[in-house]
Formats: sequence, structure tokens, C-alpha cells
Amino acid sequence: MPELNAVYRHREFGDRLTTLADYERAGGYLGLKETLELSPDDVLYAFHRSGLRGRGGAGFPMGRKASFLPKDTGRPTYVVCNADESEPGTFKDREIIEHNPFQLIEGITIASYAVGCERAYIYIRGEYETQARVLDDALAGARAAGRLGPDAFGPGRPFDITVYRGAGAYICGEETALLESLEGKRGQPRLKPPFPAVAGLYGCPTLINNVETLASLPPIMHRGPDWYAAMGNEKSPGTKLFSVSGHVLNPGNFEVVLGETTLRELIYDMGGGLRPGREVKAVWPGGSSVPVIGAESLDVALDYEALDAVGTLLGSGGCIVMDDSGCIVRASWRLAQFYRHESCGKCTPCREGTGWLANILGRMVHGEGRGEEDIRLLESLFGRIEGRTLCPLADGAVMPIRSALDLFRDEFIRVAHEGSPRPVPMTEAPVG
Amino acid sequence: MTVADIEEHLAPIRHEYPDPRSLILPALRHAQGDAGWLSPDALAAVAAATGFSQAYVESVATFYDRLYMDEVGRYCINVCVTLSCMLRGSDELFDHIAEYLGLDGEGTTADGMFTLAKVQCIGACDRAPCLQVDSGVQLGPLEPADAACLIDDLRAEPAPARYGR
Repeated sequence: MPELNAVYRHREFGDRLTTLADYERAGGYLGLKETLELSPDDVLYAFHRSGLRGRGGAGFPMGRKASFLPKDTGRPTYVVCNADESEPGTFKDREIIEHNPFQLIEGITIASYAVGCERAYIYIRGEYETQARVLDDALAGARAAGRLGPDAFGPGRPFDITVYRGAGAYICGEETALLESLEGKRGQPRLKPPFPAVAGLYGCPTLINNVETLASLPPIMHRGPDWYAAMGNEKSPGTKLFSVSGHVLNPGNFEVVLGETTLRELIYDMGGGLRPGREVKAVWPGGSSVPVIGAESLDVALDYEALDAVGTLLGSGGCIVMDDSGCIVRASWRLAQFYRHESCGKCTPCREGTGWLANILGRMVHGEGRGEEDIRLLESLFGRIEGRTLCPLADGAVMPIRSALDLFRDEFIRVAHEGSPRPVPMTEAPVG
Repeated sequence: MTVADIEEHLAPIRHEYPDPRSLILPALRHAQGDAGWLSPDALAAVAAATGFSQAYVESVATFYDRLYMDEVGRYCINVCVTLSCMLRGSDELFDHIAEYLGLDGEGTTADGMFTLAKVQCIGACDRAPCLQVDSGVQLGPLEPADAACLIDDLRAEPAPARYGR
């Protein structure tokens, strides 16, 4: 079972790495040391050569994103770490922050050196107050040791990091909504272009990356981009963290080499499998905003292209598993409620559409459905929502529901006629 | 919460932001810690301390779930009900807590001790079903009896000096 601890270095170490001394003992800050011996352009080239793709969900090549930032604009450049981890089923960034905050801090420092940033921000969701305090303490430790502060990049070359707490809004994980929130506004997405690389935080060139992406940089700079690129396959190099939850016996985070592990191995070998006598019914492999797939797709390799080929997305790696005791319509209804709640309200198709999805699925579940009429109504909604909004939240609401209807049409029709009683939930305690 | 209190809180972090507008959210969070919610007076104090209008400050505050525009209980019991938690019994956990608190669903207990709410994914699906008291540690997996103990323990605690939400 190819499992690695490139990002989860604390697992290799066997304990939390929450003091600078422990982190340095585990090889911490060697990546920054190598970085500071290179020119910023060479560091950007190393990002590019590593093939690292954005781990927040979109999978955009990190090196390319960083290279989009214009140089010598005479204005500040910012690095923003997206720690708003709110995608249902995703809790990998939480573990990095709780157990290995310095690797994130080192990664942000490396990225900031590469793009010429003197102050970076970590935007962390308000619900992660416990985790924000771990970061506060780690930053204080890094400052006390001179890793941050007036001479962070060398004598007279300052760099520091600010932790910015959100206050409860999924949409602030969308990069432009995050910037709005960080600027002291309502967290509503902006029209793109301009992209944040050109006009981001305070209108300045900004690199925004997810926690996992930035935490991948120290080992890449220390062991070399070629070491990283050699793992996985050409289009999906490196390792990725998967959070496994739902009807599995051993929910948790697992770091796998992309392309070398199947979804079945992730669920059964790492996630502990299911209760005796149960079978996989549905999996949302990349968080809740991706198309759901069924048991026939379990042998898919975990990488961007292979998951795409079976009609879903790698997304954030938040793998939610439902066994055959679950009702797909009830699950879809629950997700629709999530998107209705989290829609920021800026775009009408999303604000109204997610509400309609939740209403229709809700009445179906509660035995008040209108049979095939509701199925047709659902289908007519999808195209009126998808692709018609500023940000991907609405698409993320449609994808899991439309795919569920495609895969489990008979069940949807039955529930639209008969309703769906609340199933007995899984109560087995996690074994891990 | 006075304007001076908020200004004192903001003083050491002002230099971190080129635009003072970014101070509004930290100021709102700080102000909320005082009374547990954002009264019109608290909003006015945030407005005065940051230099923006009260209407603007309020428009920002109303966007965020964890900023409370109405008075809530001493403790907010936030039960996650998103998919992973639902599959592991969050609805049953929520119902049990509501019954234990004598509530008919979401709401605040008559003694003002607890506000019970269903919330969206709090990033602890490995601990499903889970809940958070205010913005505390994500607790789980919880059985109904665990939740009852938690509530009894909170009831026995002295009132917090500041609200951690």
C-alpha cells in the first residue's frame, strides 16, 4: 500500500511537531535554507518542475499560478494561504495545522520569497479557533527565532505572516470571496478576470494557495522538485491527502502517492472498510461538490485524470463513503441544504436554485413528492443553475445531485412517490 | 464594550493591514466576545473604532454565521448535520440534545444557558457525529449520553469571562 508522509512529516516523526525545535529535528527549515540560496526565479522554476497542483480543489498547477504574478509593479505582492477548509468531508488542512504548523509556515515563507511578498496572510475559518491558536503560537515561535520578522529572508529583508480569522461562511474558501472577506467586506465572489494574480488582495498581485499546497513546498525545495515529480504520474505528480469519512470503520486522513492507490484501497485498506455485510453504494471522492460515483467505479486510481475519466473529480480529496444502508435522495437533500445555506446570494441562479433543489428533494424525502413531475422539475433546474454564476458554488451544488439522479434514477422515482424514512445511522465507533 | 476597548485590541495589529477596513472583522469578533452577541451598541462601538459607518459594519456582520445579531445563550451548542455526520447519526444526536435541553428543535433554553443550532460541516468528519461549543474544539464522535454529560458539565461551570465564539 503506497503511503508516504511527505506533507504529513509529523506522522513520520510519530508525534505533533508543534515546537520549532521538534520541527527542526524532523528536518524542518531545510527547504527554506535551500530556497534562500536560489534566486526567486529559480524557486518559481522549481515549483513548476515539481508539477505540484493546487490541493484546494481546482488542481491548477501551482508553479504556473505563481508565475502569473507580474513583477516590478512598484506595488506590494501578497501571498494568502487559504485555510478556510469548509468543503464537506474535508479535514486534511486541520491536521496539518494542528500537528505540523511549522511546515505550513515554512511553505508560506518559501512561496513568499519566490514572489517577493513581505507580508502573507493565513485566512482561517472562524470555526477553527483551536487551530488558529496553534498557528498563533507557532508564528510567535518562528518570530522569536528570527524565522519571521525584520531579517527573515536575510539581513534587512523582512517577512511576516498574519492569521486572519473568518466568522463562518463556506463561500470564503472561494479565492475571490476570501479576498473580499480579508478586505473587511461581505464574503462574496468577484467577477474574474482580473484574476488574483494580477489584482488580488487590496488590488495588488496575489498568490492564493491552499494549506496542503503550501505545506508541500518545504519537502519539494529540500529533496528537489525532481524527487516530487518522480512520484505519481506525469499529469498528477506527488502525494495527496485524502480525508475518508462516512460509513467507514476507520475514518481519517491518508497521504497517498497519486495514481498508485485505488479508491477501493483507500476505503478498505486505509479507511477500514465497511461494517460486515455492507457494500459501498455511493462515494463522493473529492468533497461534496463533485459528481457522486457508485460501487462499479471503486477500482479507479486516485489521480486527477483517472477520476475525471469515471465522471467525477479529485477535488479537495474529501472522500465521503455511503454504504447500502443509506438513501441517495436523503443524502442529496442534505447536500442541497448545505449549498442553500452557504450560497452567498449574489447570483440569482444560485441563490434561488439551491433553495429549489433543497425544497424539491426535501418534499420527496418527506413523502410529499409529486412523482415524476418532481424528477422533471429537478432536471430542468440543473441547466438553469450550472454555468450561470460568478463562482463554482452553484456548479458544486448541481454536480453531486445530477450525478446521483443519473446513477440512482429508480430510487429517486421511488422516493418521489413514497418518501424515504430516516435510516438507522451507523453507530460503530471508529476503530482507528 | 467601549470604543476604547476595541481600539486597544486593534492597536497592535493595525500595522498588519494597509486598509483599515480589514480591521472590521477582528473588531466584530472581539466585540462579540464581550457580551456574546453584537448589540446595536456593540456595532456602534466597532464603527467608531474602525472609522466606518455603523450601517456598513452591520452589513458585514450579517454575512457571517458565527456573528450573532441577536442575543444567544451562554453557550452555543453547534451540532454538525452535514452529510458525513448525518450518516453517523447527527440527526439523532441533535434530537437527543434538544430533548435533553427541553427544546423543540433549534433555539435557546428558557434559562438563557444554551442555544442549540444545526451547523454545516465543521471539518471534523473523522469525529462524526460531532459538535462544537462556540468555536471550541470539535468534539466527537458523540453518543447521546456523551452530549448529556457535556451539557451537565457546562451547566456547572462558572460564567466565562469572555465568550469564545
